[in-house]
Amino acid sequence: MEGNGFTRRSVLRTGIAGAAASALPLVNVHGQTAGGKLALGLWDHWVPAGNDAMRKIVMEWGQKNRVDIQLDFITSVGNKNLLTIAAEAQAKQGHDMLSFPTWEVHSQSELLEPMDDVVTRLQEKYGSLNPIVEYLGKVEGKWRAVPAISGSQNKPSLGRIDLLKQHGGIDVQAMYPASDTPGSAAEWNWDTFLKAAEGCQKAGLPFGLPLGNFPDANDWVGSLFRSFGAELVNAKGETTAKTDNVRRVLEYAQKLCTFLPNDVFSWDDASNNRALISGKSALIFNPPSAWAVAKRDAPQVAEQCWTFPAPAGTAGRFTPYLPYFWGVWGFSRNKGAAKALVEYLSQREQAQTMVTASNGYDIPPFTSMTDFDAWAKEGPPTGVVYNYPVRPHHKAEQFIADYPAPPAMAVQMYNQGIQAKMIARVVQNKEPIERTITWVERELEGFKRG
Amino acid sequence: MSTAAAPTTPFVPAERGHGSIAAERRWAMIGAYIALAVFVVFFMVPPFHMLVTSLKSSAEIADLSGNPWIVTRPTLANYWELLTQGNYLIHFRNSVIVTLCTVVISMVVSTMAAFALARMKFWGSATLATGVFLTYLVPETLLFIPMFQIVGHLGLYNNLWAMVLIFPTLTVPFCTWIMIGYFASIPKELDEAALIDGAGHIQMLVKIFIPVAMPGILAAMIFAFTVSWAAFIYPIAFLVSSDQMVLTVGIVSDLIRADTFQWGKIMAGALMAALPPLLVYAFLMDYYIAGLTAGATKG
Amino acid sequence: MSQATMSPAPALPTPGHGATPPPRRSAMKRLARRSSTTAFLLTLPLILLILGLVVYPFLYAVYLSMLNKRQNRFVWFDNFSFLLGRETFWDVVFQSVLFAVSAVLLKAMIGFILAHVLHALPAKGQRKWRGMLLVPWVIPPAISTLAWWWLFDPSYSAFNWALAGIGVDPVPWLGATGWARFSVILVNVWYGSPFFMIMYLAALKSVPDQLYEASAIDGASGWQKLRYVTFPMMRNIISITVLFSLIVTFANFDIVRILTNGGPQDSTHVFATYAFQVGIQSGDIPLGASVSLFMFPLLAAFAIFTLRGVNKRTKEMA
Repeated sequence: MEGNGFTRRSVLRTGIAGAAASALPLVNVHGQTAGGKLALGLWDHWVPAGNDAMRKIVMEWGQKNRVDIQLDFITSVGNKNLLTIAAEAQAKQGHDMLSFPTWEVHSQSELLEPMDDVVTRLQEKYGSLNPIVEYLGKVEGKWRAVPAISGSQNKPSLGRIDLLKQHGGIDVQAMYPASDTPGSAAEWNWDTFLKAAEGCQKAGLPFGLPLGNFPDANDWVGSLFRSFGAELVNAKGETTAKTDNVRRVLEYAQKLCTFLPNDVFSWDDASNNRALISGKSALIFNPPSAWAVAKRDAPQVAEQCWTFPAPAGTAGRFTPYLPYFWGVWGFSRNKGAAKALVEYLSQREQAQTMVTASNGYDIPPFTSMTDFDAWAKEGPPTGVVYNYPVRPHHKAEQFIADYPAPPAMAVQMYNQGIQAKMIARVVQNKEPIERTITWVERELEGFKRG
Repeated sequence: MSTAAAPTTPFVPAERGHGSIAAERRWAMIGAYIALAVFVVFFMVPPFHMLVTSLKSSAEIADLSGNPWIVTRPTLANYWELLTQGNYLIHFRNSVIVTLCTVVISMVVSTMAAFALARMKFWGSATLATGVFLTYLVPETLLFIPMFQIVGHLGLYNNLWAMVLIFPTLTVPFCTWIMIGYFASIPKELDEAALIDGAGHIQMLVKIFIPVAMPGILAAMIFAFTVSWAAFIYPIAFLVSSDQMVLTVGIVSDLIRADTFQWGKIMAGALMAALPPLLVYAFLMDYYIAGLTAGATKG
Repeated sequence: MSQATMSPAPALPTPGHGATPPPRRSAMKRLARRSSTTAFLLTLPLILLILGLVVYPFLYAVYLSMLNKRQNRFVWFDNFSFLLGRETFWDVVFQSVLFAVSAVLLKAMIGFILAHVLHALPAKGQRKWRGMLLVPWVIPPAISTLAWWWLFDPSYSAFNWALAGIGVDPVPWLGATGWARFSVILVNVWYGSPFFMIMYLAALKSVPDQLYEASAIDGASGWQKLRYVTFPMMRNIISITVLFSLIVTFANFDIVRILTNGGPQDSTHVFATYAFQVGIQSGDIPLGASVSLFMFPLLAAFAIFTLRGVNKRTKEMA
């Protein structure tokens, strides 16, 4: 139980420091922007309660600091948030602060206010940030946005306890119990995964792993590639697709696809949820939204759900991760207040409120914030999302597909679903692996445009 | 497809007996009804499925084991919740406001312009007419970016009225051309008759052209109504607050949350959204057909 | 199917044009003087609307398409030449042409057939048929496409369920290249046919009955009536409708975006969805603008050609 004591101490410490630090910029706010206005466009949370909690936090802050707040929740459905960002960037007007999804900080970096001071203060308090948010949020040495809590998500395995035990030969609750005591997880790798996939497929309950051109597909495939050490482009932007690791991961995908429904190539982000909720699938990779909907629509399915990390490969274990960022436009007339608000939102207390309100969906960027009791309490079954945040004993890293390619390239690889397309070529077209690799090299050349 | 048979009916001299014409008519009718039935089935399958889905509870929708085409425990909960909770009615009202304004603006602008372009040849009129149509060549998916600057400068970002300003760009060019076509088919003799009576251009437009070209105007109106009722890209790019949203973007942004879809409500919302245009058309179409057959308008 | 035999419309009294004496010369002159000012005033709202809300954005869009990715350098046509060298882009061109041309042809054909059939129906039965045939066009397409997507849904396609009932294997509606192409075209045809129907119906209604009667007296067959009476009278409407539909179908976004997002393996990408992917999603707006404008010269030429034809016929008629 030594972890417990440490946690409590750090809570106390960060609590006090947090209160002191968040009081600091308020003075500045009063000085610069008393009576100012702030227009915010935050991510429209899929859990309605998430929006309510956010509104409360922001409005209270506005009252305290005498800032007029106009708060809009902008959905990511239909890529509305991307349209808004693109339009505001071109017109150089709109909101003061927006939620920026995964790749947008790099795209808009020149128009975003540097956030180094805020991030430095936060890191001093809460420890360092994971390398993925640094990769996505820090451009040419400067933080252009602060990793957000609301909207940031992991996509670990979300499986059926009963079906995986019965047909897949694995007891996921024993492997990853709802506590920090490591279970029998040593063998949770892609080979075990393949066997489980085969068993479940034979029982008519195939794994629901999408392979179309949608985020859910890109994310799990990205982790698969990474855990095989298959890197298409390295950090310097050189194409490194012609390697044994790439061949190996494609061979593995070939085998895996024989145990998946044949139409996974057209699945989108909702298809896997539906497969799980209807009880037709034993495992998907997803945030807890699928479970939460099952709790409402198919409680007997929800009771058998369990979240646990992604399988490991020879290069390690990588849990798909899709962070959001809070950024302030350089053209905002009230940057001081906007930055102060971003800093306030990133504090532990606010993080805890958001995580609790979102049924544990939101993933804070600091490992020190993965100890909230919301993840332990959610259920049924109690502890269903305990292993949703990456915990130290998982020995896993959060990961975004196509890392570490230079983000300007990676964003194209990601949005064009290049890795899933490779699998589709090999499986659907029965194309020889070598030819697929040649194809992807040609495609990647086209992404190098400056 | 069976209508294809209709035009190929054997050559029938007009002096043939009445009985034979009756027989031909009967066969043509049967062909017509078969064609109609085929297309009605094709056209109605998705709406029917939407209706079935809208009557299901979310639990029944999630259960993928049954027959998707029937509903076992019908419920009106989806409709009821849409009408009593959330912003559906606000979105509906906004859509009505925007669409009515757009239709009025489009009809005024394009009727006037079409009259001038069809009847008064002036310098550059042909170029103007062609240029107007070319505006469709720049897709909305690109145009929304510069449009955003204009809307922003006018202070209309996230404002319903921006749609009233923008939607006419989607409707006016086509309406103008449709009406040029109708106006052009009105015999010149009518103008001359009006001139003899001492009427000016405006009177000519109001007294003769508009009544005579009513079917065209109503067709254009129906077009304008539908386009602005269904517009999607501009509202999704320019409207962010729920109270300013129109139906299309309201349904998508309020009823789909990340990867969770409220299917029942989406379908219910879409079906209710389809009602006003349907009613408008039912009314307008009858009116214009009545106008056609009653008016002594054909040259 | 001839109007003369089918339509119960009463014989219309013909206005006595022939009796009208030619207008006096002075009146015509006076009118000509006044008319250019009036014409200008009448077209002014249109001109303002187009200048303010289309010409400026259009020029800006063209300018945008000639910038580099970071939008800090003017590169002329580099974006276009870059596109020409991309394999994926040529797939997009092929698919866009296939999508737009086949969808427009089908829509035009179905619309034509339905308009004729409806026109031939007795007045009292027309209403309900018309109502039902209009339904696809009145449901906002962004949402009706969601309904189609649900019908095509891979894991639980309602169509496949029905097909299974008659012993047919499940069809990968959106998962295999050929079927996915078929599906997106099908949805577009479903949505767009009523529009053609309504436009043609309005045109048909304005073909004077006398013309049919005259042709009937000349002993024309149904086909001949269609060919020599109906078709010439409808030509302008057909041209404009087809032109318009072709342009907007080339620019179609919702259907492909929602149903396949360009998949499987980019085989259903059209210009708009591809432009969205490279422009908005991948942060290369100039390249996206170039994709969007790629068809501009070709479509513009086609439009000018078509509209000139319409203009010429309009003049002849007048």
